[in-house]
Amino acid sequence: MSEQQGIIQVTNLMKSYGEFEAVKGISFSVKKGELFAFLGTNGAGKSTTIDILCTLLKKSAGEVIIDGYKIGEGVGNNHIRKKIGVVFQESVLDERLTVFENILNRGQFYNLSKHQIQENYQFVSDYLKLDDIQNKKYGTLSGGQRRRADIARAIIHKPTILFLDEPTTGLDPQTRLFVWDAIKRLQEETNMTIFLTTHYMEEASVANQVVVIKEGRLVAEGTPNQLKEKYAFDSVHLEFKHTFDPEPWLKEKQLSYALKNSIYTVRVASTLEAYDILKKLEGQIQSFEVVKGSMDDVFINIIAEKGSVV
Amino acid sequence: MKSLFHLVSRNNKIYRRDRTLVFLSLLSVFIVIILYAVFLQQTQVDAIQEMIGKSKAVKNMVNEWMIAGLLSITAVTTTLGAFGIMIQDKESKKTHDFLTTPLSRATIQLSYVINAFVIGLFFSLLAFVGCELFLVLSGSEILSGIVILKVIGIIILSVALSSSINLFLALFIKTQSAASTLNTIVGTVIGFLCGVYVPIGSVPNFVQNIIMYFPISHTAVLLRDAFMTDSIQTVFKNATPEQILEYKKQFGIVYEMNDKLVSTTNHLWIIIITTIVFTVVSIMIFKKQNK
Repeated sequence: MSEQQGIIQVTNLMKSYGEFEAVKGISFSVKKGELFAFLGTNGAGKSTTIDILCTLLKKSAGEVIIDGYKIGEGVGNNHIRKKIGVVFQESVLDERLTVFENILNRGQFYNLSKHQIQENYQFVSDYLKLDDIQNKKYGTLSGGQRRRADIARAIIHKPTILFLDEPTTGLDPQTRLFVWDAIKRLQEETNMTIFLTTHYMEEASVANQVVVIKEGRLVAEGTPNQLKEKYAFDSVHLEFKHTFDPEPWLKEKQLSYALKNSIYTVRVASTLEAYDILKKLEGQIQSFEVVKGSMDDVFINIIAEKGSVV
Repeated sequence: MKSLFHLVSRNNKIYRRDRTLVFLSLLSVFIVIILYAVFLQQTQVDAIQEMIGKSKAVKNMVNEWMIAGLLSITAVTTTLGAFGIMIQDKESKKTHDFLTTPLSRATIQLSYVINAFVIGLFFSLLAFVGCELFLVLSGSEILSGIVILKVIGIIILSVALSSSINLFLALFIKTQSAASTLNTIVGTVIGFLCGVYVPIGSVPNFVQNIIMYFPISHTAVLLRDAFMTDSIQTVFKNATPEQILEYKKQFGIVYEMNDKLVSTTNHLWIIIITTIVFTVVSIMIFKKQNK
């Protein structure tokens, strides 16, 4: 498998449940060591796709190759299972076992020796700071502590690919930052491929590659910058003095704008253009804010452009 | 093989740490003991003494009858309780999670069966030791080595049979609340189906047929036979063979099906074949459910 081919190659993947087509022939590729964001609205087919990639669900058609092994062919699934780690949206660790017992069990499922597990445990603990929770029962942990344990358990066998299904949902900002930092470090320092689904677009904005699906179809793909260029725009929010009516000026300059609660949101090609506007209207402006186009805009605009939101 | 062992050990640890599950597994055993102590024992003693006259040995024989029944239902309820882990795993999607690891579907399934077998065997043997102690303390003769081995053998078969039947039932249960309901139903009904609460001879013919076609009741028959051989000889030493046979039929120590007495070998075949059939069918269903 060459670097160009990608560690995950999905070609024309389809999945139907009777008449209902959950995934309608999507194709994409994930390069080794990259952080890949897989986005979509609820019911878009994300979970179905992930379940297929994790060998949990049989595909109806298409081809999926993970780390050189074809899903559903010969011993492919078994090889793939050794290469992947999965963190599901919901906690699946045993509440009555301690964090260490949970992780130990997991390592044993991969036939790792106790010595190997101990060694790997040090490795995962370094990333996820498990010292304070390792002897606590999983059922007694807070949401953030649980997430740390979830990820630690998923990587105890040092997988090549880590699937993270909304790993930071429901966490407080500080914990989210910690978890996110651990994920980024894992990717950068160990070259682990991270396959991520998230509803937080700021997380997707640091991905190497983003794919958006809607109603089972791939509707956009590219780097965050490429998508921002295509689907998001910078804007300047302006509040004018009461004595000034900006509309004739905005129309004359053919600027696209919207008015809400006496704030004009003017779409600009770049922040430099915003600077130009501010300079020209100097003296008439009461307050202003320059806003960079975000991944939120990208997501909303892609979904809106490609039809109604589910 | 190693991963199977680790998975069984995980299942076992979780069961042991879930005190409610352990309590529920033993609930029907407690019910039988209480019912027996409160009125079942005296009712039976009175009935038999009316037939053959007063004898101290009657009470010991009735105790043995009760204990044989109790051991047969212990195997059922403890293995069903152990399958609670499988249902918990299914409901919390842990089974789903296991399937992302190199563990095969057969290994996962087998781990629950082995765990149920280990737990069932542990509690049944513990119950056997406790019951034997009770019997000796209340005046019965200590069981001979051969009978002890025979009882252990029947317990092993009984636990295997119960594990396979309960595995089959657990495959259709998806939530813990449904599992609790099933536990309660089985815990209540099993005493009747094995002829423990009420002797088989005291129920209408169609109920007798239901009991006789219920495979687990055959383990109760074998256990009663093993426990009671000596005491029956003592109690019925002056009785006719017809009277002894009538007592055995009335109290489920032998089964008469289609006007023929069921032999020990046939009881064993019924138990073994049922175990195999339920195991094979369950594995097929599990594979279909997790395609």
